[in-house]
Amino acid sequence: MSQLTIFAGMVWVVCVAGSAAAAATQAEQEEEQEEVETLEQLGDRIDVLAEELERMRSGEPEAPMTPEEARERGLGRSAASVYERTDAGVSIAGYGEMLYQNGAGTDQSGAPVSTGARLDFLRAVLYFGYRFNDKFLFNSEIEIEHANEVGVEFAYIEYLAHPAASFRGGMLLVPMGLTNEFHEPTVFLSAARPETEQRLLPSTWRENGAGIVGSGGRVSYRAYVVNGLDASGFDASGLRGGRQKGSAAEASDPAFVARVDVEATPGVFVGGSIYHGDSSQGQFTDSLGDPFSVGTTIGEVHGQAAIRGLDVRGLWARTSLANAGLLNQALGLAGADGVGSAIEGGYIQVGYDVLSQTMREMSVTPFYRFEMLDTQAGVAPGSTKDPARDRTFHTFGASFAPIPNVVVKADYQWIRNEAATGVDQFNFALGYNF
Amino acid sequence: MLGRIFRAGCVLAAAATALGAQISREEALARVYPAARFEAERVFLTEAQQSAAARIANVSVPSRLIARYVATRDGEVVGRAYIDTHVVRTKNESLLVCLDPDGRVRRVEVTAFLEPPEYMGSGLWYAQYEGRLLDDDLAIDRAIRPIAGATLTGRATAAAVRRVLAIDAVLGDPPGAEP
Repeated sequence: MSQLTIFAGMVWVVCVAGSAAAAATQAEQEEEQEEVETLEQLGDRIDVLAEELERMRSGEPEAPMTPEEARERGLGRSAASVYERTDAGVSIAGYGEMLYQNGAGTDQSGAPVSTGARLDFLRAVLYFGYRFNDKFLFNSEIEIEHANEVGVEFAYIEYLAHPAASFRGGMLLVPMGLTNEFHEPTVFLSAARPETEQRLLPSTWRENGAGIVGSGGRVSYRAYVVNGLDASGFDASGLRGGRQKGSAAEASDPAFVARVDVEATPGVFVGGSIYHGDSSQGQFTDSLGDPFSVGTTIGEVHGQAAIRGLDVRGLWARTSLANAGLLNQALGLAGADGVGSAIEGGYIQVGYDVLSQTMREMSVTPFYRFEMLDTQAGVAPGSTKDPARDRTFHTFGASFAPIPNVVVKADYQWIRNEAATGVDQFNFALGYNF
Repeated sequence: MLGRIFRAGCVLAAAATALGAQISREEALARVYPAARFEAERVFLTEAQQSAAARIANVSVPSRLIARYVATRDGEVVGRAYIDTHVVRTKNESLLVCLDPDGRVRRVEVTAFLEPPEYMGSGLWYAQYEGRLLDDDLAIDRAIRPIAGATLTGRATAAAVRRVLAIDAVLGDPPGAEP
């Protein structure tokens, strides 16, 4: 074998080895490139999934599906609407309160009285709601009062046409005062609701109807047309018996109620509401057999300021009844038992959460409330004024909330009236919401 | 009578509509950072970052998936915005919490509110957070006033803003950012 042949053979071996090495390097590079591409694809997919998940979680309305997209799914535009749902489904919440009340053994004149004590599981309430889509929702409150009376406090369908203007219809809470719409025990400081918001604004006051709700900027409003009160339930103690509570309600005479609140600064608002309707419901006639109306007008103004643990709230309300004299005749209410032609009441309350400036979740809020209520501020000719109906209440107490959803409240009420028969009262309540 | 009621309702609706409220996150971003470009990021917190944020905020940080938008103008970071979704009572509220480059709250916008609308705070109420940094005073009944009748909304929102400020502090500036 010549040297040339040997040299050629060596060159060939080197070339083959070099080619093999180059091929191996290229394969490795291609493999690395594929891995990089795969990782990039995975990263992209994670980003897409994360975005989808985060968008779904947010509950934000999705952009409406275009007709082209609907066609891609083989659906007509309406049939595809289910894909636009955001967080549809049932919601359940609730609240409850147990109330202990114990009257003093003597009245304000010192005369002995026997009032006894009462422990009542006043309300056990469940909210049920269903969100059909981002425009329609159903909301309801089912209540068991005194542990044995079932009632519906509200049940309505709402169409969210715009965040600043919704339409609702069904059984509605009458939007008056500070307590009627927001009546959970964690919202008001005293063990029992203020007397004015039980007798004059008869919370929990609900009627059937429809209306508009909205807010924007500093202003919020509600305006409803509802079935009116039923005057056959009025008496000298106030309007409470006139509520129809949505149960086969007499609806011959509708009523209109509207409310506006203005938020002066965060935590501070003032507002007012007015209700007007005929409460006769076509039931009453005078001595000549002619029907008469019982025009009922209720107006109230209210305000609340909550600043750095200080909570100040006040309300004044007045009711005037037309044809109260004829109504008393029709109901057989004589003398001091007659329905007042005017009812007036109001209160001012100051409380301070002594733990508000700490980082604790709990609150301890001592408070004082002065309240006046006269359910016969005016009487019709032929009726007399019962001085016992003209009352003042001084309420001292405290509300303790270990967490925002649980509250224990205790207060003492000095109750005075013009007949000197007022009986002081101790109240204790346990409340919760979730 | 009904005609008068209808007309009054229309006037009220028109007035309220003009005032506006809930908007999409894209609209909110454009409003808060005008003429800015936005880079959407989905950031995954480490367990250590999640714990640190919860400790700093003194509220829970339930998710490690964070949606963040970095706003830039002429190549300069002009703000960061975070989406925080939380339950108010039984339904969700989503907030876009917009921050300045120095970490102060510039604006809080509501992008979803699935509870009944009367439980939502007003624009004025959400404006209380503007200019605030994370400190003990950033809480209901302290620097932040409550919403009458909607205590849960107030508390949930205050917790959300605290959470976002803590997450922003833990994450630091976005990579490559020159605030």
